Amino acid sequence: MKLSQLIALSFATLPFIGGLAHAADAAAEKADPALQNTVQTCAACHGASGRSVAPTFPNLAAQTAPYLEAQLKAFKDQTRGDPDAQAYMWGMAAPLSEAMITELAAYYAKQTPAKGTGGDTALIARGKEVFEKGIPAAQIPACATCHGAHAQGMASFPRLAGQHAPYLLKQLLVIQSALRNAPVMHGVVKELTRDQMLAVTAYLESI
Amino acid sequence: MRYTYSLGGPWALPVLTILCFAAVDARAVPSFARQTGMACAACHTVFPELTPFGREFKLNGYVMDNIKQITGIDAANRSTLSLNSIPPLSVMLQVSYTHTGAALPDSAATGALAKDGDVLFPQQASIFYAGKIADNLGAFMQLTYDGAADHFGFDNTDIRYARHFNLGAEGDGAKVHTLIVGVTLNNNPTIQDAWNTTPAWGFPYSGSNTAPSPITSTRIDSGGGGLGQNVAGLGVYAWYDSSVYAELSLYTAAIVGGAHPLDSTQAQVAHGVLPYWRLAYEHRWDRNSLEVGTYGIVAKQHPGNGLPLTGIVDQYTDAAVDAQYQFIGEDHLFTVLTTYINEKQKLDASFANALAQNQSNTLKTFKLMGEYYYQRTIGGALGYFDITGSTDALLYAPAPVGGSANGSPASSGITAEVNYLPWLNTKLQLQYTHYDKFNGTSNNYDGSGRNASNNDTTYVLAWINF
Repeated sequence: MKLSQLIALSFATLPFIGGLAHAADAAAEKADPALQNTVQTCAACHGASGRSVAPTFPNLAAQTAPYLEAQLKAFKDQTRGDPDAQAYMWGMAAPLSEAMITELAAYYAKQTPAKGTGGDTALIARGKEVFEKGIPAAQIPACATCHGAHAQGMASFPRLAGQHAPYLLKQLLVIQSALRNAPVMHGVVKELTRDQMLAVTAYLESI
Repeated sequence: MRYTYSLGGPWALPVLTILCFAAVDARAVPSFARQTGMACAACHTVFPELTPFGREFKLNGYVMDNIKQITGIDAANRSTLSLNSIPPLSVMLQVSYTHTGAALPDSAATGALAKDGDVLFPQQASIFYAGKIADNLGAFMQLTYDGAADHFGFDNTDIRYARHFNLGAEGDGAKVHTLIVGVTLNNNPTIQDAWNTTPAWGFPYSGSNTAPSPITSTRIDSGGGGLGQNVAGLGVYAWYDSSVYAELSLYTAAIVGGAHPLDSTQAQVAHGVLPYWRLAYEHRWDRNSLEVGTYGIVAKQHPGNGLPLTGIVDQYTDAAVDAQYQFIGEDHLFTVLTTYINEKQKLDASFANALAQNQSNTLKTFKLMGEYYYQRTIGGALGYFDITGSTDALLYAPAPVGGSANGSPASSGITAEVNYLPWLNTKLQLQYTHYDKFNGTSNNYDGSGRNASNNDTTYVLAWINF
């Protein structure tokens, strides 16, 4: 291909890019542009519509709005101190206004949740047992009591269904070690063993 | 450009040009961390290697921010200014020690040897402006002091404009597609790339600039043939759904220093417009990401260096494939990088002026590297490199240390390194490079009695960014 043809081709593709951009702009106009801009930033880690790929980053889709709002505020005022919160979210949440936090929480709450993914069935069955019945011998109450029978979350108690197991495991560990400040959960999980954590997180990821 | 020691005779220019091969420019900049409020680990596994999020940040134009902006709007409420209240400046310092298998010849006293064991303080010291300039506009700009050359120079620069779009309807579970469209203005083909397989950001991320390095490299490879910092390029790219990347850039000669307008005193001057292309596909799952791609450039060049910049030219066509795999776990991080570059050389100008023996040559480079880190703190890498190509007794002529006795550019070996990062922005490195072959063969490769293993290099580096 001659260079002149190559240049002609590159210019020929510009209207195509422009057309896509125009279509995208039209779609974005329907929603609040400030919210759209912010959601695009979130999407870099949490995925389009809040369904993430890497388990370092939690799914946000269908998370309860009060929980999301509380966490964003805790990142912003730096009261949620687990290592990943510091490394990633303190910075990201710092410029968010109170109004934007509310909008973001509402936006993610109404997205379609991530689908559960299967795994070790025996482990999942053990996890289901922990989730639904707790561990009476260790005085650990059933998770379902607060998080809902289907782990769908209730108000400020977060949705856990379909969440990445490694993310949930890490949260249980940082709450247990009090790196993440969560007084109610700290009391609940302080006697939970690592094996029990692995089971219950595998179950939650599967539903 | 780093000239480490002088060699006389007609081979001086090619040999010195070739010594620049080892000049690796690879960076990570704390000003991005200041701008985003995120730790290095968000964008880098271990600097300068990018994570998937780092790629998003770069392709979005370096503009994600969370610090106070100085803003301006016009009557239509359009943003006319959005400037970081703190300038996104960073400093990089490299201090290094180099020891080669056998001492190098003295640059002036015939038969004598130079001191073996060379400390550079600094090897390089750089100042960066790296961050947002305005809405959708960001820059990565580097000024570097080179300790061996003893001067400040304009180093890698990439200024980009990017727009992000969501395609498709929100909600109801409908798939939303993302598209980033951008423009890059830069001075080194592949500096704009988001993967660590391409030369500008490839392995090794740092190496000695005083040890001998192979006689040649492909045009697209790090600084080889004088493209890096000697061209200006404008490109357009699209990044669709964080999976498909396409770019077309056009470069032209823009040599820093020397005679301007460019004339016969300059060497390896790009002729006309050099098209560069890049296509890549990335798949992400769980903690893994896998990229496969292709890139290349068609570079027409005047040999210059005494020859006028008119008439017939040399044409280098580089076509390359690459692949990258990353696993980013909580404790364990793995990376595999590979690239294969195939260069076809049509050396009409060099041949006509008795600078090349053949009118057509080939040159091929293969690189493969594997890396492991534990908790981003301690780790190591092992890399293999292999350069092969046509034998050409004029291009690759005999000369002490830097030349080739048999006219072959064949060089191969391994680079092994151990790295310790006491902090995320400080890397302490011990690197060893072993050559099986150097400039054609293992024993007496230069015709002056030097063996490939005499160039084996021990390199100790302290690399600090703040």
